[in-house]
Amino acid sequence: MPLLELRGIESTYGAVQALKGVSLHVDEGEIVTLLGANGAGKSTTLRTISGLVHLARGEILFAGQPIHRRKAEAIVRLGIAHVPEGRRIFPGLTVTENMMLGASGRAGLSRARMMQEVEQLFAIFPDLKRLSGALGWSLSGGQQQMLAVARGLMAAPRLLLLDEPSLGLAPIVVQQLFAVIRQIRERGTTILLVEQNAHMALSVAGRGYVLETGALTVEGRASELLDNEEVRAAYLGGRRPAAGEATR
Amino acid sequence: MNARPAGANLSILARLRSRVPLPLMPLLALVLVLPLAPYLFALSGYALNILMQAATFAVAVLGLAVVLGYTGQFSLAQAAFFGIGAYAVGLGTVVYGLGFWVAMPLGVAIAGAFGFVLGLTTLRLGGHYLAMITISFQEIFDLVMSNWIAFTRGPDGIAGIQRPSLLGRPLTDDRAYLLLCAAVLYLVVGALWWLPDTRLGRAMKAVRENELAAEVTGVPTLRVKVIAFTISAALAGLGGAFFAAGFAYISPDNFNFGRSVEFLTMVLLGGSQSPFGAGVGTVLLILLPEWLRFLKQIYLAAYGMAVVLIMVFMPEGIWGLLRAAWQSVARPPPPPAGDVPALALDIPLSDPAPILRLVGLKKHFGGLRAVDGVDLEVARGTVHALIGPNGSGKTTILNVLNGIYRPTEGRILLEREDVTRARPHQRAARGVGRTFQNIRLFPGLSTLENVMIGGQRLNNPIARGDAALRERALSALEFVGLSDRAQVVVKNLPYGHRRLVEIARALAGHPRLLLLDEPAAGLNQSEKQALTELLRRLRAAHGLTIFLIEHDMSVVENVSDRITVLNFGKKIAEGTPAQVLRHPDVVAAYLGEPGHAAA
Repeated sequence: MPLLELRGIESTYGAVQALKGVSLHVDEGEIVTLLGANGAGKSTTLRTISGLVHLARGEILFAGQPIHRRKAEAIVRLGIAHVPEGRRIFPGLTVTENMMLGASGRAGLSRARMMQEVEQLFAIFPDLKRLSGALGWSLSGGQQQMLAVARGLMAAPRLLLLDEPSLGLAPIVVQQLFAVIRQIRERGTTILLVEQNAHMALSVAGRGYVLETGALTVEGRASELLDNEEVRAAYLGGRRPAAGEATR
Repeated sequence: MNARPAGANLSILARLRSRVPLPLMPLLALVLVLPLAPYLFALSGYALNILMQAATFAVAVLGLAVVLGYTGQFSLAQAAFFGIGAYAVGLGTVVYGLGFWVAMPLGVAIAGAFGFVLGLTTLRLGGHYLAMITISFQEIFDLVMSNWIAFTRGPDGIAGIQRPSLLGRPLTDDRAYLLLCAAVLYLVVGALWWLPDTRLGRAMKAVRENELAAEVTGVPTLRVKVIAFTISAALAGLGGAFFAAGFAYISPDNFNFGRSVEFLTMVLLGGSQSPFGAGVGTVLLILLPEWLRFLKQIYLAAYGMAVVLIMVFMPEGIWGLLRAAWQSVARPPPPPAGDVPALALDIPLSDPAPILRLVGLKKHFGGLRAVDGVDLEVARGTVHALIGPNGSGKTTILNVLNGIYRPTEGRILLEREDVTRARPHQRAARGVGRTFQNIRLFPGLSTLENVMIGGQRLNNPIARGDAALRERALSALEFVGLSDRAQVVVKNLPYGHRRLVEIARALAGHPRLLLLDEPAAGLNQSEKQALTELLRRLRAAHGLTIFLIEHDMSVVENVSDRITVLNFGKKIAEGTPAQVLRHPDVVAAYLGEPGHAAA
């Protein structure tokens, strides 16, 4: 049984039908990436899973249970953490406070244990450790992005939805971030990753889907997608990677 | 074939059609002839008074629509300005023996002047400070009117205010006076209905939608807000003047804080972004108590409940709801057709001096040294990239360059002139265009309007008038490939398109120096290539100087002539892409993966 399964989901965004019957699945312990142009519906897919966008038709199953009628808060408590694009951090709270809030859905977590996990994440994001007492607004754009990812990880989710985590990050940080994403998977967290940096995404993902104007067009193993002519032309630039966005 | 963009001169009818839901047209026509009703049907004096009150109140509420609905600024002193107009007529005609047609404009002018001074001194604050200060002004007005008895006659008020004459005929007949009030009201509605499509109106909307972006795009935001506040106060004065002459008696009770709140409720209830909405709200809130009077004891509770319910279910007001409902069934307006001239940038390239020089630039935030002594020159007609780790001060430099922040130390020279202390819109007027890391558009406006506002900057070398501005905006949209999305409301565009709209908005203003903050962020590979092409075309064909921050090295390598690298607010390397991207410090601090850096 897959951890997450979408069956023909459709949703509308204002007057536009953003998703036109998307079916995909994510197995326990794998990283699946969702590629596609702007406006294809990638973020809407994630927002629909986490209950932020109303589902018009179709089903969403998490660990076999339908979740599409639940509210966003209830979905978080089931173990699905969503790191949205656009760095929605709490500007008036410190870095540490922002991270601790990420764990607010976890019942019975002691403060000592929480601080221990914060420290573990600091090891992954040394910049955040340096800035642990700084207020959210004073962080640069890239630092805010790191904080948003770190906060999502504090939820210790079974499924992590990552929306454009590399947006606005320096190349070296992108490399670190993707190294972190691999580590997260090794800790047993399943990840659904939306990413413009297709090279990087396919370097960590086991499988991938391509979304075009609200419908899936291509799916397959990461290695197959890397070799797919259409995918190469549209999302990989049809050439070998340049400095800073290289695959390892 | 018509060479002008279609709709360059929108006829009144076309405008009416685009703004007013079709099914409501007959209603509008009915309202237009309503003031003639008393001549056709026998109406009680009470009913006439209600209509007169609605007409005069509506003028003041329309003033609030300008300041709140169009410009997004809060005012809770509208009743005070209304009172200034009323007292000008009351005192002017009864005590000082002036005629109504002298006292009324005087009242409008005095109310406008108070609005101007209050606006000039407080609009820098904005937000809830503005609300608090307007409340204070309202309270002071109330106290002065009640207690300065020698001048205002105190709580007793002024009685015996005469009706004016028009063309030698005294308007003692309530029906005739109502007709005059309605004429004034309709003139104001017409003017305010026209306003959003003028330069000033667009500037107001830009301030409402995103004040920082408006300022950086070249809108003198403080001036626009003060103008809006002045217009709003003057309109309140106008309404007050006609109110005083209509009801013959005024006292401070008519113009207290409660009345200001009532005006505010009217505009919010009806829909603050349209003059029609303001009118609807006024009439409804005056009629509602009449309708609910049969409820006797629970009348006030029911009234309050009705207002709360309307606000909860119609956050955009009644007019906003009707419009939204209409827009969901009506066909969207077609994109403008017709030929659009290719984008020209008109940049003199002869001057060999650097277009931009930063001298010893420092910006500290408390203990944080975001920028710590940077010297930098950007050569004319080049693409210069600024790279560095997250938090190294890149965006801060752009914000200082733009005038959003004052530098702690150092100077900024733009085309040899020191602009260190210039405000952002003044720098826009000198040809500095800008996009933002986290896209700052005017989300509720159309793509075309967004770009037109970019073309409105001072000194923009285009012909006067809206037709030229529109054409310029369409050229810029055509250049970024979005002319078919001109009529789409920007917040409905996908992310990548919004990035391009921001660039088009800057291009519409004929920039000489374009500052781009991570233009490729969030774009996929093919979009990045399109962006790279676009930047190259701008530089090669138009000689535009581009100063950009970017993390995507494929873009940076491909477009830049020169790269400066920052770390911890200091310059650590500078040179051509080949030099800089091999520099060991740059690789260590920023690029990582030494094997790939020189690829």
